[in-house]
Amino acid sequence: MTTSVTSDAAGTTGELRERVREAIVQRRGLRITGSGSWLEANRPVAAATMLSIGGLTGLGDYVPGDLTLTARAGTTLDAIASVTAAEGQWLALDPLGDPAASTIGATIATASYGPLAHHFGTPRDATLGLELVTGKGEIIRGGGRVVKNVAGFDLTRLITGSWGSLGAITEVTVRLRALPAVQRTLAIDVGLDVPAIDALGATLRRLPFVPLAAQLLHPALASALQVGTTSHATLLVRIGGNAEAVKAQLGQLRAIGEARDAPERVWDLLRSREQGSVVAFRLSRLPSRFAESWRDAMQLLDGIPDAYCHGDPARGVVRCVIPPGARADMSTLRRCITSPFTGTRIVETLPAELWPLVAPSAASNRLSHGIKRAFDPDRVMNPGILGEAE
Amino acid sequence: MTAAVTANERRPHAPMDAVLAARLKEIVGPRRVLFNPGELLAYGSDGLPGYFKQPSMAVFPGTRDEVAGVVRELARSGVPFVPRGAGTGLSGGALADGVVLLGLNRLSRIIAIDPENALAVVEPGVVNVALSRAVSPYGLHYAPDPSSQAACTIGGNVAENAGGPHCLKYGVTLNHVVALTVVLPDGDIVALGNAAGESEGYDLVGAFVGSEGCFGVALDVTVRLARNPEAVRTLLADFGSIDDAARAVSAIVASGILPAALEMMDQATIRAVEASIYAAGYPTDAAAVLLVELDGPAAGLDADVATVERLCRESAARTVRIARDEAERAKLWQGRKKAFGAMGRISPHLVVQDAVVPRTKLPEVLAGVHEIATRLRVKVCNVFHAGDGNLHPNIGYDANDPDESARVHQAMREIMQTCIAAGGTITGEHGIGLDKLPYMDAIFSAESLAAMCSLRDVFDPDRRANPGKVVPVHACREWHMAPRARRAAENP
Repeated sequence: MTTSVTSDAAGTTGELRERVREAIVQRRGLRITGSGSWLEANRPVAAATMLSIGGLTGLGDYVPGDLTLTARAGTTLDAIASVTAAEGQWLALDPLGDPAASTIGATIATASYGPLAHHFGTPRDATLGLELVTGKGEIIRGGGRVVKNVAGFDLTRLITGSWGSLGAITEVTVRLRALPAVQRTLAIDVGLDVPAIDALGATLRRLPFVPLAAQLLHPALASALQVGTTSHATLLVRIGGNAEAVKAQLGQLRAIGEARDAPERVWDLLRSREQGSVVAFRLSRLPSRFAESWRDAMQLLDGIPDAYCHGDPARGVVRCVIPPGARADMSTLRRCITSPFTGTRIVETLPAELWPLVAPSAASNRLSHGIKRAFDPDRVMNPGILGEAE
Repeated sequence: MTAAVTANERRPHAPMDAVLAARLKEIVGPRRVLFNPGELLAYGSDGLPGYFKQPSMAVFPGTRDEVAGVVRELARSGVPFVPRGAGTGLSGGALADGVVLLGLNRLSRIIAIDPENALAVVEPGVVNVALSRAVSPYGLHYAPDPSSQAACTIGGNVAENAGGPHCLKYGVTLNHVVALTVVLPDGDIVALGNAAGESEGYDLVGAFVGSEGCFGVALDVTVRLARNPEAVRTLLADFGSIDDAARAVSAIVASGILPAALEMMDQATIRAVEASIYAAGYPTDAAAVLLVELDGPAAGLDADVATVERLCRESAARTVRIARDEAERAKLWQGRKKAFGAMGRISPHLVVQDAVVPRTKLPEVLAGVHEIATRLRVKVCNVFHAGDGNLHPNIGYDANDPDESARVHQAMREIMQTCIAAGGTITGEHGIGLDKLPYMDAIFSAESLAAMCSLRDVFDPDRRANPGKVVPVHACREWHMAPRARRAAENP
């Protein structure tokens, strides 16, 4: 996967800036890539040249006592995890995708998150500072290396989740957490009808603790992960804390149903089975309406072989996935992203020819236009990635 | 250097003010526009001592429609303005120097509470603690709790991205705002974020929160509420040296236990509190005390309390006391929350400083602050969010004594330089405002500051909203004449 992105690989921020400056002069669009593992998103970028941050690897400051870590953008999540685990810490971000390939830069650029967002939030909440080469060929920094910071306008938040459309992230500082002393993963059968899922959401909200993660799995997914059967949905819960707290949490989970142990590696399996999805999109409403979104997702995916969904009731989000083997025809895929839906539908991955159907673009408002123009006036950084107009 | 006149320096002429005042009175009613210098005196300062800036007039709309109407009228007239909530800000962000002050404290309605989804929609003038009170029947509270929470408003909290003791565990204002309706300085009304689902595209909520009134005026704010914890434990540990207390902070942070709050007060602060009506029973012979709060599910909490107690004792704590009941807990907290007020009794003037350092650097930075205070003969009281590394070295002094004032300002500069040298930043929760402008060049490159200017220009191309704040004017030089020229080019 990396062979196609080496032509413009940069080893330092300064080199990367030179690549951007050349592109500005030549009026040539750049497609920014990390390890390339999210390229399957097929987002409509009008750029022939790859700009890889894959060469920018390695850790900067890591003082475990500060619970902060600075890393070059091309550092993989696995590389970060192995260093922090040795200190009993972790970066509590688990975006869906292969952790051995996913880079921290891409995670933050796309604001990608996974099941741990249930407790720890998203990259918005974990990113303390970053360095960016803008579309003007300038090196800017937002935030810093401390956990609390209101100095100046918040460039860090603006850039987090901007999909490389304002510039290429070259370095980030993130907040770490202590690894829980004890962790358990449990699976609980849940009925597939709306009242059962409504009751699940209400019970989760009433728990006296917030699990580390809680994902409701489609029967096909639960079965594939070997944590449930095809006759039920399965709630996969991850809990943690000191031994006494975990013991109490196990008892409190009985309010949902009978819990059986599941292996902790199921979370990695859930993440790494994502590679190469044809279509992935998320449906969201208020958490209290999660059951409706789940029902809508089940209906949309009904009849598509191997398609599945999973969701976080506390966040009110259901994520639908159609894997490459699903043999869904174009009209079925089109229906998934265009059929009426009363909540918010966010598309992650689509075949390239369907992206034009995703409208209106999230960047089609006056402020977003202005921001793009201010940071990338020549439209060299991932042009068109947010579906923004010329 | 050219002497370009910017919007920041523009003053409206008095006759124009009279016309504008008449128009604004039509929108908000005659009693809600203050125009006479005597009436405006009260609005000449905010929570930052030592500054007085007279607004040209002050206007107090009572509804969201009136706010939008006022902002549109100001846009039509090309007049700069400064939004203001309760005026408790500590960086001079609400000072209006010869421009219009837009008071939002009358917009104090809680528009909706959604207990099931733990959300509330409020107007910007809602007082922070009033929101927590209103949602307490549902077992909820609003987590960010600045010490001024009895007076400060949610709108002001949003502008400053306010923090507070409990932000260590629960996050700052930004982590609790999910959506906003904003009137931009040109009068356009925009919805930012999505309260009822996910958002995509640029994080405009993230950009707006903490923009110190430079990006527009929030008409309503949708905030996430926190569920009240099942159990709370509050500990007071006292130490024979500041260094021991700082080492205890590092040990607690490194242990992985995440306290709801982890606060430090030094001896000068303790004595000021104990001499006031807010006396909390802190030991006055201690060099420093730590106030540690742990909360969450009851099960397992006492194990964490025991760990924190052990870590304090291993760092040479003399005593560790655990509040037995809610009354004792409230008393311990009152001393902390009212510490600034207690210090105010001791000296005629008080500078409240705000900086953040990496938490492992606390011992050396506090030693540095002590050395600076001793050398320059100033009285520093440290009371701060130790768990975040968020320092508040406060200096009481007499502003009428020029020699003492000069030493205080020198001490402040040296303290900020010490924090920056330790890898820290110049403000953790008070904002840049006017006060911290001189330090922006020390932590951001010219290119980063220019990027901030260009971001402001997206929201406010005329630079009329809170002019002259946050980013030093010289950093925006490249852009001085750009906005109008650019628009002229785009709309010939």
